[in-house]
Amino acid sequence: MAKSSLDKKFDQIRKREEEKTFSTKKRSRIVNKFLNNRLAVLGLIIFTIIILASIFAPLLSPYDPMRVDLRSMRQPPSLDHWFGTDSTGRDVFTRVLFGGRVSIFIGLGSAILSAVVGIAVGCYAGYKGGWIDVIALRISEIFMSFPQIILVLLLVSITGQSLFNLMAIFILTGWGGMYRLARARMLSLREEEYVQALRSFGLSTFTICYKHMLPNALSPIMVNITLSTAMFILTEAGLSFLGLGVPLNIPTWGNILNVAQDILILQNYWWMWGPVGIVISVFVLCVNFIGDGLRDSTDPSQQG
Amino acid sequence: MTTYIIQRLFIFFPMLLVISFLVYSGLELSPGDAVSHMISPELASTITAEQLDAMREAYGLNQSFLTRYWIWLTSMVQGDMGYSMAGGVAISEIMVKTVPATLELSMVALFFSTILGCSLGVISALKRGSGTDNSLTVAGMAGVSIPEFFFGLVAILLFAIELKWLPVGGRLLPHYETLWDRIPNIVLPSLVLALMMTAGAMRYARSSMLDVLAREFITTARSKGMPEWRVNILHGFRVALTPVVVLIGFRLPLLIGGSTIIEQVYQWPGIGSMFIRSVRASDYPLVMTISLMYVFVVLTASLIIDVLTALIDPRVRLGKE
Repeated sequence: MAKSSLDKKFDQIRKREEEKTFSTKKRSRIVNKFLNNRLAVLGLIIFTIIILASIFAPLLSPYDPMRVDLRSMRQPPSLDHWFGTDSTGRDVFTRVLFGGRVSIFIGLGSAILSAVVGIAVGCYAGYKGGWIDVIALRISEIFMSFPQIILVLLLVSITGQSLFNLMAIFILTGWGGMYRLARARMLSLREEEYVQALRSFGLSTFTICYKHMLPNALSPIMVNITLSTAMFILTEAGLSFLGLGVPLNIPTWGNILNVAQDILILQNYWWMWGPVGIVISVFVLCVNFIGDGLRDSTDPSQQG
Repeated sequence: MTTYIIQRLFIFFPMLLVISFLVYSGLELSPGDAVSHMISPELASTITAEQLDAMREAYGLNQSFLTRYWIWLTSMVQGDMGYSMAGGVAISEIMVKTVPATLELSMVALFFSTILGCSLGVISALKRGSGTDNSLTVAGMAGVSIPEFFFGLVAILLFAIELKWLPVGGRLLPHYETLWDRIPNIVLPSLVLALMMTAGAMRYARSSMLDVLAREFITTARSKGMPEWRVNILHGFRVALTPVVVLIGFRLPLLIGGSTIIEQVYQWPGIGSMFIRSVRASDYPLVMTISLMYVFVVLTASLIIDVLTALIDPRVRLGKE
């Protein structure tokens, strides 16, 4: 009995080897580990639902997020208006969906773009060292001497408010952390034997650092991208709440919350700011769960 | 050690100088100059170009950029911060009024968040893997996910508007009220700020405590037959908290960021709400002075932390990156 089951196992392994599925084994272990983390999976599901709902917003809601309808001002939530209507009769649920498009775009887009900049600089500077590294390090130190929100506000006051400016500011303030992470990984990878081997083959610096070393530094970078997505979404919400983020005519999660600065609205019309605040919190929480799950599944030193 | 401190100071001052230059030139690039911001929109249509030039000359704006930077820098070093464009109030006067308010709020929040964060983190580490640990971890993640202003608004609605236990916001000035009267105003903003910052402290304390609990001297203490609480408190806790206390300094930028928005939500008359007001009004002298002050604080804090870590931990490599 036992022998035959062992034989079966060997058959399976041989079969798999022949199909060359062994090469994907490492990846699937990471995926499995991620899927075992219940919070991360829950986060991923809700994250996907919110993103899909924002993308398909026009299909999900019959209303126009910008259309003013003074006959249905400040209505509490009902079957017609799930989250009620705001002071100019716009449907809050629709605005939350459309706001999600902009807010998530800003958060994810800035995180990815600042990662691209940070990695591009960090990989090369970390591998090469020398004056490029010194200069990049000093520049990132300059950006890091500011508390993040203060630097963002300062840059907003310099450039003025617009969607494009805000993303540029986020990238400018966010690349430093990513650069340091990539650089630190490169500094330790640089001494590995396979890198020395590649160098002795006479491969170009670009090929070595972007094609061979970067993939080995990618997992902490992925974790960092999710965490900075969360941070950028929160910062955008905070800035727009203050009226200093995205211009008020574009619906974003922060801009919808902006009305809560008025104490009368805070007191009497909870649906105008409560649901959107919860949506932001849930979305950011999901992103953090995903980031945490990614870290646990990719970084063996972070157990427990 | 002395050479290390001197080396650090050699980075500190040039850094401050470069940043001040960057900020000054950044604001120089922004649309409009000081004069165009001083004129009300109604006047703008009637005022002539000569009058504008005369104003520019009176304020010294016709001088070259570098000259103005030099004048500004030298007077700044001498303690003359210049004047705010809104009402022409001396910036030093604004600072004297707002900085104590912010310090008061931040210190109370820092105090509560450190105590709460350290004790929750240690509990979490001692009960590692249990339900308490897991729920504390999730609560910590929720703490960093909820926008602090949203949390503040919900707290206002609940405790100030519905229950009427505490005032909605504002701060009573020290000179005309007793300490007891002033406490209700600070409770909400400081607790909201503290709760938002607890999560970070908790995470540090937890991992630091876990680190210590795995060390050999803990096993030794246990093998001597010491009661478990004594092992945890006297040996574990004391050693684990040293790095956490140093890490509090690292959280200073977080504290500043958090207090900026919380001050605005609670109409707390501190430096943060003043900064937001000056950004809104494009009050460039004030924006510049306040942001440089923040940079100064952050750089000083990181200098002190580096020196402290080097003092505490002799393994820190001195003078090398």
